[in-house]
Amino acid sequence: MTVAAGLGYALIALGPAFSLFAGVVARKPFLVLTLLSSTLFWLISLIVLSGIWRGFLPIKSGTWWAYAILIITSVALQEGTRLVFWRLYKKMEEMLDAFADRISKPRLSLTDKMLISLAGGLGHGVAHAVFFCLSLLTPAFGRATFYVERCSKMPFFLASALIALGFLVIHTFSMIIAFNAYDEKKKCDQIVVPVVHLAAAVMTLVNLAPGGCLIGTPLLLVMAALTLQYCWRVACRRLTEHQHRQLNDN
Amino acid sequence: MADAAATVSGDPRGRPTVLDSLGEDITRIVYPVSACMLLVVLLVSLLSSPSAPSPLAVSIAAATGGGGGSGGGDDIPTALVTALTFVVAVTAATFLLALLFYLRCTPCLRAYLGFSALSVLLVLGGQVALLLLSRLRLPLDAVSFALLLPNAAGALALAALAPASVPIALHQAALVAIAVLTAFWFTLLPEWTTWALLVAMAIYDLAAVLLPGGPLRVLLQLAIERNEEIPALVYEARPVDPRHGRNWRLWREGRQPGADLDVSSTTVEVIGEVFGRNLDSNSGNSSSPQVHGVATSAGDANNSRPRATLAAALSSADSTIAQAEEVPVLREHRVAVAEMSVPLIQPRPERSGEEEEDEDGIGLSSSGAIKLGLGDFIFYSVLVGRAAMYDYMTVYACYLAIIAGLGITLLLLAFFRTALPALPVSITLGVVFYVLTRTLLEEFVVQCSTNLLMF
Repeated sequence: MTVAAGLGYALIALGPAFSLFAGVVARKPFLVLTLLSSTLFWLISLIVLSGIWRGFLPIKSGTWWAYAILIITSVALQEGTRLVFWRLYKKMEEMLDAFADRISKPRLSLTDKMLISLAGGLGHGVAHAVFFCLSLLTPAFGRATFYVERCSKMPFFLASALIALGFLVIHTFSMIIAFNAYDEKKKCDQIVVPVVHLAAAVMTLVNLAPGGCLIGTPLLLVMAALTLQYCWRVACRRLTEHQHRQLNDN
Repeated sequence: MADAAATVSGDPRGRPTVLDSLGEDITRIVYPVSACMLLVVLLVSLLSSPSAPSPLAVSIAAATGGGGGSGGGDDIPTALVTALTFVVAVTAATFLLALLFYLRCTPCLRAYLGFSALSVLLVLGGQVALLLLSRLRLPLDAVSFALLLPNAAGALALAALAPASVPIALHQAALVAIAVLTAFWFTLLPEWTTWALLVAMAIYDLAAVLLPGGPLRVLLQLAIERNEEIPALVYEARPVDPRHGRNWRLWREGRQPGADLDVSSTTVEVIGEVFGRNLDSNSGNSSSPQVHGVATSAGDANNSRPRATLAAALSSADSTIAQAEEVPVLREHRVAVAEMSVPLIQPRPERSGEEEEDEDGIGLSSSGAIKLGLGDFIFYSVLVGRAAMYDYMTVYACYLAIIAGLGITLLLLAFFRTALPALPVSITLGVVFYVLTRTLLEEFVVQCSTNLLMF
C-alpha cells in the first residue's frame, strides 16, 4: 500500500538496526567492516543451506515435520557458523593486539571486544532481516497489500517485518552472550545461545497453523526481549567484574 | 552502571584504542562504491521497463543483421561477439593512450578526458534527466532545462577534472555522478550481452595489468619511469571531512625517522607490516634491522621529495631483498612477497591509468590513500544494476559479493604493493553469487518466508 507503507514495514524490521548502526557502529570504521563480513558469512551459510535443501523443495504443505527438520538443520548450521566466526575473531584479535603493541597503544579493551561482537551480531541480524523480509517487500510499495491464507488477520508484510525485528534482536544480542561465553568458557551461557535460537525458530512453526501468527509473533518478540535482558545481565556482570579487577590491581 | 562502564573502558573520550581509527581508509572506499551502486539500483528500479526492448538492443540486433535469437539479439553468440568487440576496442584505445603518453602528448590526453567527461554528463545525463522527468511527472519547461543541463554538466565536468580547484566533496561527487550515468547506460544492454561484457572486462583487466605486454602495465611502467601522473579519472579516497580524518599531507611531512608505523598509518600499510613482521619474528631474520634501516632512510627521503627517490628506493630494496632471501622459507606461503612488503613502507606514488574514464586498477597514492579507477565503479554498478532488474534479493547478494571482492583485493594490495586489477575478484564473486542466489537461494527463502517460518 504505497511508498509510506512499504517504508514503514522496512523501518519496523530494520529501524533498531539503523539506530544501532548510526549510533555505535558507524563511529568506528573497523566495526563497519566487521558488520559487512559477518553479513557475508551469514549469507554464505544461507546459500549452503539452500543448496542442501534445494532438492527437497517445494515441501508439501501438510507435512509440518519436514519444516521442523529444515529448521533444526538451519539452526545447527548457523550455530556452526557462529563458532567459525568466533575462531576467526580470535585470530583477528591476536593480530590487532600485536599491532597495538608495536605502536605502543593500549590493547583491545573489554568494551572494544564487546563492540566487535555487537557488530558481528548486528551483521547476522541485518542479513536475516534483509534476506527474509526486505527482499520480499517490493510489492508493499505498490497499491495493495497481501494476506497469506493461514494468517488472515495480519498483512503478510507486517507479520514478516515483526518476525524479522524479533530475530534481529535475538541474533545481535545472542552474539554478545556467545562471545562472552566462549571467552570466559562458561558452559551454561554457551548452551543458552543455541537453545534460545532453536526455541525461537521452532516457535515460528506455530505460524503454520491457521491463525497461528497471532500467537507466534508476539511470543517471538517476548523471546527477543528475554534475550535482550539476559545479555544486559551478562554484560553488566562482566563489566563490573572487570572494573573490580582493575581497581584491585591498582 | 553507565559510569562503571565508562571508567572501565578506555572510553571514546579517554585514551583512544587501536580500534578507533583502524580500517578508516577501507571504509572511505566502501562508502562511495556503495553510494554509486545504490544510485544505479534506484535509477534502474525507477526507469527500467524490462518488457520493452531498449533502443540499444534494437540497434544491436540491426547491426548483427537481425539473425539468430528471437529476443532482439539477446542470445549467447551475439553476446560473445559484442563483448569481444568491446574488449578489442578497449585494448586498442589503451594502446593508443600509452602511445600518446609515451610521446608526451599530455594536452591530447587532457582534451580527450575533458571531452569524454563532458559528453557523458551532457548526453547521458540529459537522457537520464529526461527519463526521470517524464517518469516522475515533474514540471520543468524546455527553456529552463536547456539552461540548467549544460551548466550543470559543465560544472560537474570541471569538478571532476580539476580536483585542485574545487572542494573535495564536489570532486568526488562529480566522479560518482559520471560513474552512475555510464553504469546506467550499460545496464540498458540486453541481459546476456551485459554478463558477457562483465566477464570479458574482468579477464581483460587481469591480463592488461598483470601480463608483461599488457597495455595498462606498459602505461604504469612509463609513469613510474618518468614519475609523472597519468591524466585519468581516478577516485582517490582522501578524507572528505577534515574534521574526522587526519590531514594526510601534514602527517607525511612530520613523520619521525624511527617510528615507521603509528596510528595514522593506512590499514593497507598496517596489514602489510603486520604480516611482514610476523614472518620476521618467526624466522629470526638477522638482516631485518638492515632492511628497516634502508626503509626508513628511503622513507625519509620520500617524505620530503615524494617522487624523486622512488627509483633509488626500489634499487636499494632490491639489494636488501637479495640478502633477505637467504632466510629459510617458512610454513607460510608468499614469504618472498611478504619480505618485499617489509622494506617498502612508503607506498608507491602512482599506478595504472587507462582510456577515457575507464581506469582499472587499484593502488596506493602518494598520500597513502587508496585509489580506485572509475571503470571499477562503473562495472560494479553495472553488475548490481543488472541484478536489480531481476529481483532485490540478487541485489543484496551481489552487493555483498562485490564488497567482499573489494576487501580481498585490498588485502592482496597490502601483500603485493603493486597496482592490482580490481575487477576480476569482485566480478567473479558477483557472478557466482548471482547464479547461486537465483538458482538456490530464492526458492528456499520464498518457501520459508511465505509460510512465515524464519530462523
